[in-house]
Amino acid sequence: MSADGRETDPVDAYVAELTAALHGPPRAKARLVEEIRGGLADTVEARPDRGLSLDHAVREAVREFGTVAELVPGCQRELTVAQARHTAKAVALTAPFLIACRYLAGTSGDDSAGLVPRTAQLLAVHAAGVAIVATLLAAAALAATGTLARRLPTVHRLPLVVAWTGTTAGIAMAVTSLALATAAALATNWPLLACAGVLAAVSHAAVAGAARACRRCARLPVPGTPGLG
Amino acid sequence: MKADAVRGHLDGLLLAVLEPGPLHGYAIIAAVQQRSGGVLELRTGTIYPALNRLERTGLLSSSWQSSGERRRRCYELTDAGRRTLAGERTAWREFTAAIGSVLNPGPAPGLTA
Repeated sequence: MSADGRETDPVDAYVAELTAALHGPPRAKARLVEEIRGGLADTVEARPDRGLSLDHAVREAVREFGTVAELVPGCQRELTVAQARHTAKAVALTAPFLIACRYLAGTSGDDSAGLVPRTAQLLAVHAAGVAIVATLLAAAALAATGTLARRLPTVHRLPLVVAWTGTTAGIAMAVTSLALATAAALATNWPLLACAGVLAAVSHAAVAGAARACRRCARLPVPGTPGLG
Repeated sequence: MKADAVRGHLDGLLLAVLEPGPLHGYAIIAAVQQRSGGVLELRTGTIYPALNRLERTGLLSSSWQSSGERRRRCYELTDAGRRTLAGERTAWREFTAAIGSVLNPGPAPGLTA
């Protein structure tokens, strides 16, 4: 029974418990949960005894279908991989901005501009290096969890590696944004300032958020097989 | 047969029942049970992450289909899935032939009078 006194549908209760136990990208999680809800409803409907008592039919269907505790390890492994792929995509799509900024900083270089713009250029060069490594790692992670996973088992710690790659890229983006914004303000270079603003927004909205979610998924204790499949 | 014994062969089983055409999750598990004469026991719910994984690796494709008020995700084999299924069948034949020759040995060559 729910808090407001109404009878809770046992299938809804099962789905609510499963939803609370799983973590991952919202769309992937919603899709998986909706499929499972439909599957459980089909299992209940197929029970020959469903006309006697819904609670009894659901109990028997859950025994056939698997309890939430039995389903969570497999579902969470898949959602953790989905979160790692989501983070890797965010890194692969946004890290090239850092490389572009390195060229922006380079082409707008002015030896007489002072210490701050030169420091910004130096930071942009280092951030571009971070971006190149992060992009390569993200691409490798996408391949390893995509078609390559047919032949190779997914490395258990891959989601954690992707999470920290995303975190590093996010920090590099934030630092570069700040440095370039400062440099651009001093040099009254508005294109750079705009680029830094975009970088800051992308960094915090996409990469940092995805990396944070990926760290949380990768740290979840998931009993079962050592590989992620 | 318990779920643990089936686990290593789950991908092959799922690909095989999808060979004739697209099916949704519950129909897939029903097809596995029907084809095995009810011998293979699987926790129905555990196939959903497996189906997601097979789709992620490009062996299956899927789409939502409406049936009355219910939406069901239907899966079908891709070309890569058909090739993988053929490979699974070959590997299974070789495996069962090797195990069979150990469990049911014929007369050893050179030992007959």
